[in-house]
Amino acid sequence: MKRYSIHIVLFLSLVMHMNASAQVPVLNSFSSAAATIYLDFTGGEVDGTIWNENGKIIAEPSGLSPASITWIHKMIADHFKLFNLNITTDPEVYQRAPVKQRMRVIITTDGSWYGPVSGVSAIGSFTWGDDTPAWVFMDAVSNNPAYIASAATHQIGHTLGLQHQSVYDSYGSMITELSGGESNIFSNEAPLMGIPFYKQADWKDGHPSTGAQNIQSDTAVIAGAPNYIGYRKTVAGSIPSEKAVKIERQEPGSLGITSCGNYNYRLFDISGRLLTQGSLKTGYNEIRTSPESSGILVFQWIGESVTGSQMIIN
Amino acid sequence: MTTLKTTITGISLLFGLTLSAQKKDTQQELPFSNKIEVSDQALEALFLAPENIDMQLAPGLRLEGRIQNKSVHGNAVTSLLIKVDSNPGGTLSISRYKDPNGKIYYAGRLLKLHEPDGMMLVEKDQHYFFLETQQRFLVAE
Repeated sequence: MKRYSIHIVLFLSLVMHMNASAQVPVLNSFSSAAATIYLDFTGGEVDGTIWNENGKIIAEPSGLSPASITWIHKMIADHFKLFNLNITTDPEVYQRAPVKQRMRVIITTDGSWYGPVSGVSAIGSFTWGDDTPAWVFMDAVSNNPAYIASAATHQIGHTLGLQHQSVYDSYGSMITELSGGESNIFSNEAPLMGIPFYKQADWKDGHPSTGAQNIQSDTAVIAGAPNYIGYRKTVAGSIPSEKAVKIERQEPGSLGITSCGNYNYRLFDISGRLLTQGSLKTGYNEIRTSPESSGILVFQWIGESVTGSQMIIN
Repeated sequence: MTTLKTTITGISLLFGLTLSAQKKDTQQELPFSNKIEVSDQALEALFLAPENIDMQLAPGLRLEGRIQNKSVHGNAVTSLLIKVDSNPGGTLSISRYKDPNGKIYYAGRLLKLHEPDGMMLVEKDQHYFFLETQQRFLVAE
């Protein structure tokens, strides 16, 4: 009887593991790129890496639904739209990628072998070529898909050589290692390499944790040596946000705006009150506002891969 | 003529400054507190060593430990994971790379998770150094 029980338990474990693997949709953000980030939602065994000080690590499958995985993949892929880099959920794509241009990010439930953090990775390990993975621990971010995507993007940034974006005082002393970004009526943004969870997060140019005297341009580090990823040649997201929309004319009651794409826009007054919103079409747009819409205004636009805001004094 | 010279000098200076600014944007050199030079031969010896290692990697850096794992990735990368018993302890992860021209080079790091400091093996002007640095610059959360 005992032997049968063991067989049943083993069979059920196998079925559950196969089920976990089968549930992961095969997704690729930019298949033509050789450089690859593999989002591993299926877990497995990790050995022979710097994480294995205490022996093998068994990573549990994420248990996320195909819909959640698809959404998380999209959130992460959006942050890498500028780059010649494929974000995949397919292990075979990872295996085929150049060994010095690939990274496996294990998205798993429990990180108790390391500690109570949302993830951990080795800086620059994308080019190590020894299959050292990066980690995202879902339990530490309450299994929230948005936080999982942010944590994964942050860890991928580390593997591509990025240090934390930090905040320093005017004397160059560190105030905080992880920048929380800005929060005012003009901006509600945070650096992806700071605390990316609570605000709209993006790559930034800023002072990294290595010192106030340094400037880290996140996008330049990702694209450049030793990753040699480069930028995509044709993609809407390659338009810098400051060039996506240009205010050509402004007067009380109307704005003339040239747009490089189809974006949604919102116009706020200085108190953050929404004055008007709508859609911008590619080309010239005339926006009607109330004649009282004067003083300091904030114009914000949002596209699939580009966002931006601009202060207007009207 | 003087104006032309001044203009050219100004443009050259501006170009130089731009280049230097661009260079600063890419990967930064890590701040470090100690630097130990190690020879190519000593690094190569690690890849030929038996499971139990006891060797003087460099003056001031003795390595006693055990190879936990040896793996080959593709046809160009061989990696070792060495459990280090001697000071400073931890795990040495080191890889030997062969580029398409047959040139051999090495990269690695000596870490003990959650410790404040770690070491990174870097190559500069065809010399290898272990740089002792804050571990948060090597492993981050």
